[in-house]
Amino acid sequence: MSEDILLIVIKVAVLIVILLTVVAYTVYVERRIMARMQSRIGPNRVGPFGLLQPLADILKLIFKEDLTPAGADKVTYFLAPALAAITGLAAFAVIPFGNTIDLFGIKVNLFIADINVGLLYLFAMSSLAVYGIVLAGWSSNNKYSLLGGVRSSAQMISYELPLGLALVSVVLAAGSLSLGDIVKAQANLWFIVQQPLSFVIYFICAIAETNRAPFDLPEAETELIAGYHTEYSSLKWALFFLAEYMAVITVSATAVTIFFGGWQGPFLPGWLWFVIKLSGFIFFFTWMRATLPRLRFDQLMRLGWKVLLPLAALNLVVIAGLVAAMGG
Amino acid sequence: MSTEVKVVSPAPMTVATPLKDAAAVAARINEKFANAASVVDGSLMVDSSQLVAVATLLRDDPGIGADFLEDLTSIDWPDRFEVVYHLYNLTRQEGPLRMKVRADKADPRVPSTVPVWPGADLMEREVYDMMGITFAGHPNLKRILMWEGFQGHPLRKDWKEAYFEEEKKPFDQRWPEGALVRAENRTPFKDNIVLPSGFDPTKYTPPAEDNVPLVEYNQPLSGEMKSQTLIVNMGPQHPSTHGVFRMRVRLDGERIVDLQPVIGYMHRNHEKIGERNAWLMNMPYTDRLDYLCSMGNNFGYAIAVEKLMPDIKVPERAEYLRVIMAEFTRIVNHFFALGQLLSDMGAFFTPMLYAIEEREWMLDLFEMASGSRMMCNYARFGGVARDVPPEFMPLANKLVNDRLPRAIDRFDDYIATSEIVLARAQNVGILTKEQAIALSTVGPVLRASGVPYDVRRAEPYSIYDRFDFDIPIGTVGDVYDRYLVRIAEMRESVRILKQALRDIPAGEIFAGRKGWQVKIQKGEAYGRIENPKGATGFYVVSDGGTNPYRYHIHAPSFINIGALGTMAKGHTVADTVIILGSVDIVLGELDR
Amino acid sequence: MLSDYLPILIMLVAASAIGIGGAVISWVAGPKQPSANKAMAYESGMIPVGTARIRFPVKFYLVAMLFIIFDVEIVFFYPWAVVYKQLHLFGFVEMLVFIGVFAVGYIYIWKKGALDWK
Repeated sequence: MSEDILLIVIKVAVLIVILLTVVAYTVYVERRIMARMQSRIGPNRVGPFGLLQPLADILKLIFKEDLTPAGADKVTYFLAPALAAITGLAAFAVIPFGNTIDLFGIKVNLFIADINVGLLYLFAMSSLAVYGIVLAGWSSNNKYSLLGGVRSSAQMISYELPLGLALVSVVLAAGSLSLGDIVKAQANLWFIVQQPLSFVIYFICAIAETNRAPFDLPEAETELIAGYHTEYSSLKWALFFLAEYMAVITVSATAVTIFFGGWQGPFLPGWLWFVIKLSGFIFFFTWMRATLPRLRFDQLMRLGWKVLLPLAALNLVVIAGLVAAMGG
Repeated sequence: MSTEVKVVSPAPMTVATPLKDAAAVAARINEKFANAASVVDGSLMVDSSQLVAVATLLRDDPGIGADFLEDLTSIDWPDRFEVVYHLYNLTRQEGPLRMKVRADKADPRVPSTVPVWPGADLMEREVYDMMGITFAGHPNLKRILMWEGFQGHPLRKDWKEAYFEEEKKPFDQRWPEGALVRAENRTPFKDNIVLPSGFDPTKYTPPAEDNVPLVEYNQPLSGEMKSQTLIVNMGPQHPSTHGVFRMRVRLDGERIVDLQPVIGYMHRNHEKIGERNAWLMNMPYTDRLDYLCSMGNNFGYAIAVEKLMPDIKVPERAEYLRVIMAEFTRIVNHFFALGQLLSDMGAFFTPMLYAIEEREWMLDLFEMASGSRMMCNYARFGGVARDVPPEFMPLANKLVNDRLPRAIDRFDDYIATSEIVLARAQNVGILTKEQAIALSTVGPVLRASGVPYDVRRAEPYSIYDRFDFDIPIGTVGDVYDRYLVRIAEMRESVRILKQALRDIPAGEIFAGRKGWQVKIQKGEAYGRIENPKGATGFYVVSDGGTNPYRYHIHAPSFINIGALGTMAKGHTVADTVIILGSVDIVLGELDR
Repeated sequence: MLSDYLPILIMLVAASAIGIGGAVISWVAGPKQPSANKAMAYESGMIPVGTARIRFPVKFYLVAMLFIIFDVEIVFFYPWAVVYKQLHLFGFVEMLVFIGVFAVGYIYIWKKGALDWK
């Protein structure tokens, strides 16, 4: 490893600060955009254009009373939001969000770690994320939470399968699990062009993994109040919020990395390209939230198991066949 | 997408029908059951000992065919109780037949008609709760609006509410020497409250397990595995119960095993307050029933009371204004209902806000006419409160001819073509034609199940016989049909509005006596209109005095909620929420 | 090789600091006025009936079991995919066989009705 530990620590610290800010402003931007879509104004009171709204929200949440319901499993109840936030933040470690840049004469790689099983690490983190949710749902001793948690775990593991299968074909074409290598493999042609079906399957599953509309069943507020985090208040609730938006950012960043050439792009610096592509995805998530109603649970399960999973397998066979035919 | 809803135009009711001729019906009954029925003041009086047999005859006899029990209520006379039934035939579009049954003052007891008309279930419970009449044979005779354990029956004439002041308004004692003293300020628990012995209201905590039974509590679940079911309360504080409505559900995973609607959280004894009020004082009070459709409520109440004022002829212009307001109200309500339904489906507020955007324009019109956007208080006995200002007609015309048809189409386009909406709404919450009639459902719920029944056509009130419009009906009776019927009804409303705005004459808008006290002749009247949520009936009984002797409201939300359990059973939690949304309830009139 | 994972470890530590720190801060900074009513589990404003700790319907566990089976099979694809280009036709045939095994299991559970969510 060419970088020394100090540089890594600084990078991690800076990245986390950036991520937290990005999450806060993703929420703000989402609220503003959705307001526009719904002929409203959205938050515009705190600071110019309401720009300080996220800060005010966080401050408010810090000074809210932290409640633990009677009958809750106290340790699990305390750790569940932390677990959700940790997996959400840590997943970003393997995403390359820019080329190597020169900063004060030091060469800085714009990723935390380019490990050779990067893709598997992402899977691992998103699989762990379900623990935060299901433990929160179970430990609250609240029926809505329980239903939300159970829904969520069933949903997330069901969509994990087609998601994994859809990405195998990318690995096949890139010949590596390292995200850095996958980005470099797209220097000439983005994988979205080569494998559009893989992308569609991946993205549908990713939305389901992040519990966003139209798959926002675990926290369907018109059915289950707030689902798994019904009982949570204060910053613990904010940690779930952080986890959810981190998941959105991570799956979007993954989509950019795997299918849209990562940070590569002409003229502009790499990290800017990355931000632009990422913003597009986040806008798309917002757009869907403002547009689509929610599926029912059995429909969701049917879509995952009976449509996406066989489709992903078929897609893999076809891609593998094509790669073999082209003498891969 | 073009609607799959059928549009039909059933012929208007002919005048002399068996169901209006109580004497003929009584004769038919007495052929079978000697001396079971007589006619008193134009109503069919049935002997309570033979009620169930007579009711079965009324329903099944092809010459009578009273298959639809619209309303069931009761009156507390000084010497007796009377249970009043309003019966209709939906296929021949006939009615009403007013049937009465007398009950003893000391131990009021009447056989239950639930076996004949299942829709009587909630209405009989309401009468039991509010008037204390026992319905023998009712499957689940429990309090409904008041809580179990409540003492007394609030609609009885001898019942006095907390802070009772006087029998009739205006209360003289509010102004003893010109200064206002409220009863609430005198003592916190006034002396007319009877508490059970040893009960201290300040130390009361409600019990954890409430005594609303779930019918299939002990039913074994399917499958070999003995997993447990979960009882969950949805409501009263729940985002999608449209107010303080509560569904107590038993869940097997996601699936509803049993569902029990629990109501009464917003109960304020509207009918008793209405009896304390003078006749006209109830007009603004009806606004608060279905607070989205105050114009319609005013209209219905005015029609009911005007039936007891034979010398009043409502001027043409006022009739037109009433119809215009009522039809705008329908559009307002349906927009709101559909927005709400889609919001329940998970479309995060966007359709709701689009719907509200259109609604605001019509509320502007209401504000111009009445000075208020929601609590309009517009109708009067013999006309309307005030004429519309000059800027009303241009805006109304613009909306009707331009904006609203486009808005309805756009709304329909956005929503009805969404695959997710179709997947969620189709074949969910099916109510068959037979069930819909038997459960006495009204309005879009009834019509979506394929019954072409609309009060505007069946029993044309005001000037509805002049307008050309169709009645949309559904074919399946699911959530999606209810959605389509509402969309189609909005289009029909626009049609009526176009005709009304074209034909409205100039002239007087009020023919009654100005002033808050009106002369109402002795008698009883049941006036009903087709409110957006369904037939809304006002049953008023006058003893010739300054206040109503009895003032009863047949609320569509209340009736339709009786069908909720039938529609929801076997579906999932998510379905239940949209089924409730498709019924379209407003708690203001559900709990009264 | 292992040093590649050092940054991941640092990232995990930092994320844990945020996660646990956040939970602790709210516990320290917020006001504390506990009461029995506040601590009651939320059930739409009603006093909860019974507990949420029940034996939940078995079909949810079935999903979990199916997931484990299929997830393991899918993970086997990854090493194969990485070296696929070196395997040429052999790899393709090999994969078809594996997919066949996968499909047999899948069709079996489909026919058994395990995927019918009722």
